[in-house]
Amino acid sequence: MKFTARYPRDNVNVSKTHPLAELAWMLGGLVSIGVLLFVVLGLATDLAVERIPPRVETWLGSQALEQFSGQDSPALEQRLQKILAKLPADSILRNYQFHIFLDKRADVNAVALPGGTIVVFAGLLRQVESENELTMILAHELGHFAHRDHLRGLGRGLGVTVASALLFGKDNAASDLLAKSLLSVQSQYSKAQEQAADSFGLTMLERVYGNCSGATTFFARLARERKSRLPYLLASHPHPQNRIDSLNREIKANSCPLEQVLPVQADLQALIAASTN
Amino acid sequence: MELILQNLDLLIFLILLVLGYLAGTLAEKRHYRSIIRREKALLKLPVVTAEGSFPVERIKNAELVCGSVVVSIDYFKRLLAILRNIFGGRVKSYESLVDRARREAILRMKEEANRRGAKMVINMRLETAAIGKNANRKKSIGSVEAIAYGTAVVLQKT
Repeated sequence: MKFTARYPRDNVNVSKTHPLAELAWMLGGLVSIGVLLFVVLGLATDLAVERIPPRVETWLGSQALEQFSGQDSPALEQRLQKILAKLPADSILRNYQFHIFLDKRADVNAVALPGGTIVVFAGLLRQVESENELTMILAHELGHFAHRDHLRGLGRGLGVTVASALLFGKDNAASDLLAKSLLSVQSQYSKAQEQAADSFGLTMLERVYGNCSGATTFFARLARERKSRLPYLLASHPHPQNRIDSLNREIKANSCPLEQVLPVQADLQALIAASTN
Repeated sequence: MELILQNLDLLIFLILLVLGYLAGTLAEKRHYRSIIRREKALLKLPVVTAEGSFPVERIKNAELVCGSVVVSIDYFKRLLAILRNIFGGRVKSYESLVDRARREAILRMKEEANRRGAKMVINMRLETAAIGKNANRKKSIGSVEAIAYGTAVVLQKT
């Protein structure tokens, strides 16, 4: 046999795929898995929001409340009860045991937590100038409860957390960990959700006082402080001016009377003074 | 500017990735060109894995010849391999690396045999070893070593 040296034409040991093409495939795969997860979590959350049992909601609320520091406030509670008394008999809010929590932070904000807790920040209380305004704000938060935004506001981790709480129990370490890592109370509501809550608030305001005074004054003050509209194109909260406009439209459409607002009562004044220090 | 400072980690990662890809591709292309040129030059020197048997009077000399090389991965190849760890399948980015290392090791061995005037290399063996075993972990460099050794046979001039 004769040995003939011949150079092989092809290299079978190295794949011909271009490395960039390989990268694109795998990154594409990762991204589509991410998108799929995002969609599935969203669907799971929607499902959870619709049929979450009350005891699980209370548990979620206690998890979320850990992020806030402050105390219960009887003065605010009393005002909330006044609104609750005016709720329609068939309102789903009748199933809740509401209470108000006053947080010392200076943010001009209020948060609706699962289980019926409303957290009011001291910064918001300082801005309040009439009883009607406070009623509007509290009724607005009740609107979030009525539309179940307070559950959606916890973000896409909600579905998974609720599933875990139902499967393994509320006191399980896994449920605890999921709740702590996946739920974000600070997440903002969408513009549509805010406007729906505004509309609910307006209805309740009219039921409590028989007029719509004070519905827009609070937002008007905020709008004056935040002159620039530009950042609001990107913000999740509607610009205060937009909220005022749509509230005014609604007041006109319902031909709701505007009367003298009720000045801030003594007990609330004391509370505001205490929170300023 | 603020955006850059906030995402410094990401920026460094991207720079390393692009650098790894460009430098790695360039180095690989040059290496392959060199391998092919030298392989063709030494085509007439056969290397076999068989033990071989020669009539004693024909052999002038038989010596151990050895060639070894260490080739490192680049940042881009490492990313591809990490992604492969998720999806599974052939780690194509490392295939060319091992191929280059093996051929370079054999080439170095053949060059050594050629210098000694050998007419062929018999009983060739090839081994590979990983240096820096945790190649996919951060802050460690993964490289592959290939070593080829065999018996170079110098024949009597007839």
